Amino acid sequence: MADASLVQNDTEADRPGGPGGARDGEIAAAAQRRRLWRRVFQLSPITLLYVVGLILPYLYLLRMSFNIYDPMLVFREAFALDNYIKLLTDAFYLQIVAETIWLGVAVTLFTLIVGYPIAWQIARAKSHVKSLLLAAVLSPLLINLVVRTYGWLAILGDNGILNGWMLDLGLIGSPLPLSNNFWTVVVGLGHVTLPFMVLSLVSVMESLSDELLEAGENLGASTFQIFTDVVWPLTWAGVGAGSILVFCFSISAFVTPALLGGGHVSTVSTLIYEKFTFSVNWPVGSALVFILLAMNMVVIMIHGRLFRHED
Amino acid sequence: MIPRISLSLWTTLTLIFLLGPLVIIVGGSFTEAPHVTFPPEGFTLKWYAQLMEREDFLESFIDSMVLAVAATAAATILGTIAALALARENFKGREAFRAFLMSPLILPTVVTGVALFQFIRLLEIPSNMLGLIIGHTLITLPYVIRTVGAALVGLDKSLAEAAEVLGAKPARILFQVVMPAIAPAILVSVIFAFIVSFDQVTISIFLTGPDVMTLPIRIYTYIEFAIDPMIAAVSTLLILFAYLLVVGLERAFGLDKVFGKKG
Repeated sequence: MADASLVQNDTEADRPGGPGGARDGEIAAAAQRRRLWRRVFQLSPITLLYVVGLILPYLYLLRMSFNIYDPMLVFREAFALDNYIKLLTDAFYLQIVAETIWLGVAVTLFTLIVGYPIAWQIARAKSHVKSLLLAAVLSPLLINLVVRTYGWLAILGDNGILNGWMLDLGLIGSPLPLSNNFWTVVVGLGHVTLPFMVLSLVSVMESLSDELLEAGENLGASTFQIFTDVVWPLTWAGVGAGSILVFCFSISAFVTPALLGGGHVSTVSTLIYEKFTFSVNWPVGSALVFILLAMNMVVIMIHGRLFRHED
Repeated sequence: MIPRISLSLWTTLTLIFLLGPLVIIVGGSFTEAPHVTFPPEGFTLKWYAQLMEREDFLESFIDSMVLAVAATAAATILGTIAALALARENFKGREAFRAFLMSPLILPTVVTGVALFQFIRLLEIPSNMLGLIIGHTLITLPYVIRTVGAALVGLDKSLAEAAEVLGAKPARILFQVVMPAIAPAILVSVIFAFIVSFDQVTISIFLTGPDVMTLPIRIYTYIEFAIDPMIAAVSTLLILFAYLLVVGLERAFGLDKVFGKKG
């Protein structure tokens, strides 16, 4: 990809002189050759890494997704659409795709509801309070994903802190099953993705002028009306940008659903892991990879449609 | 008035939600109880003592350090060269090429992990470390290209031009004019790349093997079976480690620059 674009480069700014004599042409050609070599020299190491580490592995997976699973040989060379047909018709797989989408929607709504007010608070705060709040919101990003997930296990587990508190207070007689279910995963993913949502919202809310809100107030609008008629429409772009980040992250997440779901929550990602490790079904696993990529792409396209005018 | 109070209340609750797990982990690492409690029961350092005796955790820490240093070095060198080339050269498809270089950030890491895992198996590369270094370099490169690229955009072009007019050779302009100006950005991306690599879980989980297991994966496999306060102890050390790095960064450059916000 890079080399193709390197060969046919030429820009008006770089081209020296005009249609001069043969000597000028030679010098220009030499200069252009030198420029070409310089670009190849500078960009070929990184291009090589991307080809070996990204393009070829993805192409190999794509090829693998057309092979056929064989319990004895792991896979049989083929060029069939069987895996895709199976994934798109089998109720088991369709349900997992549906659950993955539902997880993405739930986490997005969660971060939107939790994050919108605090984002507003940050955008409207004075500068020192603002940097303090921003630092607090961003700080979980520095903590290892496994460590944060462990924190939620410690809070929500059967021996966890919430259960301990409720037992001590006599509210419950035996521990409640707070962990290993869909909503535990939503809370865990919400914790991981909330900073993305808040940052997207803050960047839009900051551009909202105080005069606009005062105008609404002076015209006698209630707080609720100001929100629905002024604030919400004007922050819509931030809602969209944050939602797509959170949604795509959530449907592709692996660590949080695997640990907090405790094997009871299956998403496309956890299924991909399962197909490549325990059940060694590479062809179906590879096809699942491209289903996941397609899901991401569809969401990005829908986002592009919905928010085309705002940008 | 009521909306304002409820807004503050909601913000407080959100902050508790965000920071609560971290506080509980740190507090829980000192508890005398056999599981994490909050507030901690009594005070003990026995979980830290237990952690220090675990050679597997120490080996994983060393593996993570070696990997993070190697990936950071590779990403910083390749990324800085690429950012310089992208800023200076003007060729057709440059923006597409830049987007391509940023793609590891957008592609699901679980997919990149699986793809590398399969490809390394296909090539029959015996070392897991090599695959891990390739994966981590790819994941950290976009951060380097973005940070150094942003610094180059802000760079005053007339500086390099003045040096050229005064007769400096291109190599001299690069090392005596451009590099000193972007050195802070390079240092920021070194620390960023290091943190990203050190914390990476999803790609690593596919690429670890009998010869290397990074620290996050060691913790991952441990908590699949047991949730005792020893993990709170190692987590506390990791939290401390991350904060020390960032506080150091903040002292040196200011937080706005670190997070690339404000402008």
